[in-house]
Amino acid sequence: MSHASVSSTARFGSLYWAIQAKRNIGVRGLFVVVLAFMVAYGFLFHGLFTGSGFAKFTQSWFPLALVAMAQAILMLTGGISLAIGALVSLGAVLAATTMTGPLGVAGGAALVSLVGLGIGAVTGVIVVKLRLPAIVVTLAGSFIIAGAALLVLPRPGGAIPPWLSDLLAGNTPAAFGVLVVVVLLWKLYLATPLGLSLYAAGENPVGAYRSGVPVDAARIAAYAISGLLCTGAGLFVAAQTGSGDPIIGNSFTLNSIAAAVLGGIGFLGGQGTMRGALAGSLLLSLMISVMFFLGFTPVAQYVAQGLIIIGAVAIPQFRMRAR
Amino acid sequence: MKKSSLFASASVLGLGILVNVLGASQADAAANCIKGDRKAPYTLGWANIYSVPTWMKQTQGTIEAEVEQLKKEGLVDKLVVTDAQGDANVQIQQIQSMIDADVDGIILIAGSSTAPARVLADACAKGIAIINFDSLVDTNDVTAKVNTDSHQWGEQATKFMIDALGGKGKILILNGPAGVSVSDDRRAGGNDLLKANPDIQILAETNTAYNVAPAQEAVTSLLFANPEIDGILSFGGALSAGAVLALDKQGREQVPITGENARQFLELWKEKGLKSWATMQPNWLGAFAAYTAVQALEGKDVPAFVKIPLPVIDNSNIDEYLARAKDFPADGYIFSPYDRDLFAKLLAQK
Repeated sequence: MSHASVSSTARFGSLYWAIQAKRNIGVRGLFVVVLAFMVAYGFLFHGLFTGSGFAKFTQSWFPLALVAMAQAILMLTGGISLAIGALVSLGAVLAATTMTGPLGVAGGAALVSLVGLGIGAVTGVIVVKLRLPAIVVTLAGSFIIAGAALLVLPRPGGAIPPWLSDLLAGNTPAAFGVLVVVVLLWKLYLATPLGLSLYAAGENPVGAYRSGVPVDAARIAAYAISGLLCTGAGLFVAAQTGSGDPIIGNSFTLNSIAAAVLGGIGFLGGQGTMRGALAGSLLLSLMISVMFFLGFTPVAQYVAQGLIIIGAVAIPQFRMRAR
Repeated sequence: MKKSSLFASASVLGLGILVNVLGASQADAAANCIKGDRKAPYTLGWANIYSVPTWMKQTQGTIEAEVEQLKKEGLVDKLVVTDAQGDANVQIQQIQSMIDADVDGIILIAGSSTAPARVLADACAKGIAIINFDSLVDTNDVTAKVNTDSHQWGEQATKFMIDALGGKGKILILNGPAGVSVSDDRRAGGNDLLKANPDIQILAETNTAYNVAPAQEAVTSLLFANPEIDGILSFGGALSAGAVLALDKQGREQVPITGENARQFLELWKEKGLKSWATMQPNWLGAFAAYTAVQALEGKDVPAFVKIPLPVIDNSNIDEYLARAKDFPADGYIFSPYDRDLFAKLLAQK
């Protein structure tokens, strides 16, 4: 798991799969838990196996999956962002205020993407080049971005063309399809020089730098991609709800960190896998629905949620130590 | 004799037909979203946005009491409760789960005025009675919305403040969270009056959660910056209590202040002899929403918007509220008594 940069050996088929299997060790427990929840959910709610049931469920999960990826990329480089939620809100209000205007859907989507990439890149430059702590920069950034979202749309409103809402969040699993594409793009990115540098820059920046790895560029690129994923999640939330809300993203900041940590991503960088973060986000989303169908009271849900998270994080740790 | 009895039975029959026709026309006038295919006992879903604040706990208490009553009457067999922990996205997922579980009615305090629109449209299309209260949604795909008038709330509070200061003075304005409809609407309600009275100078405005501690903190720092304050226009009861405590801690003189039926504020009002005005967002809106959902499911016509009157609490009637204080939590709200007669009257208004 530690020598992650070895994934450059992807061309040696058997070695690739061996490494992938080794990387799964830390999150195997989580995969089992997620699978158990999936089975339980399917058992409790048979509609899950219908097209629209599956579509609705994956739509609930989709924005959380994107922000979990956004946070995971940063944490892999040894960074973190407390501005995830604010960026989601900003993406949502930008989409809801532009897409029915002269910019149209394509223009609005381009604006949302550019703003995400731009804010991410600027944050990355500040953190990396000025050597300021990411947690402070992104905390300050979150206030600025949240304020910007409130300036764009002071109170919930705006609109998304209904056909776009129906396309992305209707009765077809389009959101799931988009997620598959995003994951494939992530795999492709990992094969590029910048992508390869990602893990190295996080785990051992000094060593990586001395070996000629473009550490700074890799970290700034990670912030830019992370920003893009966040505003993209915002666009989806706007489509899902048919409108914009300047504070809709608030809870995504903590949930993105919870999903990443649950997925075995370390705070110190270079440790963990994207599939872990995705599984973590899936578990967080599944918990809500499964506990509903089990008839848990809200208070019991708070307790159960905490216990499941501790369990999913602690059990693999204990097993590692026992080894 | 025979003839007359025949006549009587014929007229009874006629009356019966007439009643039937009336009944049918009443069923035709069924409330929005209602299809008439759902039969008692019903399952109700209570989609809360955040269960932790005391106001919410008290509101949930009134819902549970009402559902107990409805259970005794054989109209409801189950209440499922969700708590979105403040997250509007989670609330959408939970409403979706309620649809998946095929509940008959949903009562809802919305976490966002726009976000639940599409999931509510799905629920409405499935014939689920949706009663939205307190924090309202913009969409009309619900059976009924129930609330006091937040705009009027703000207007009346602002009017009291302007009158109390004789149209001239320096004030602080305390708002609930930014970007939340209730908070924005109350503030907007005061806008015209404030514009018409330019001698009322706004020193500063705050946005905090509807809790005592953050309001007290915000007002404390504003007190340092502003040695002269003539009034505090507060748009929330807990905010008012925080402001009074902040003034008190710094040994500043109390000034005219607006507020709500928060027990802590009313007690401070009495204790400090404040010049105040307050109104009430009744917790029994929850019970009323549950009752209304069942009425709609039973085929009764329910108005699309039920406006709950805002009472005025002033020095003439504050004692009536404080007399019942011990029945309510120390950090809770002293709401007015309610019963089925009141509910029926509210539903009958057009």
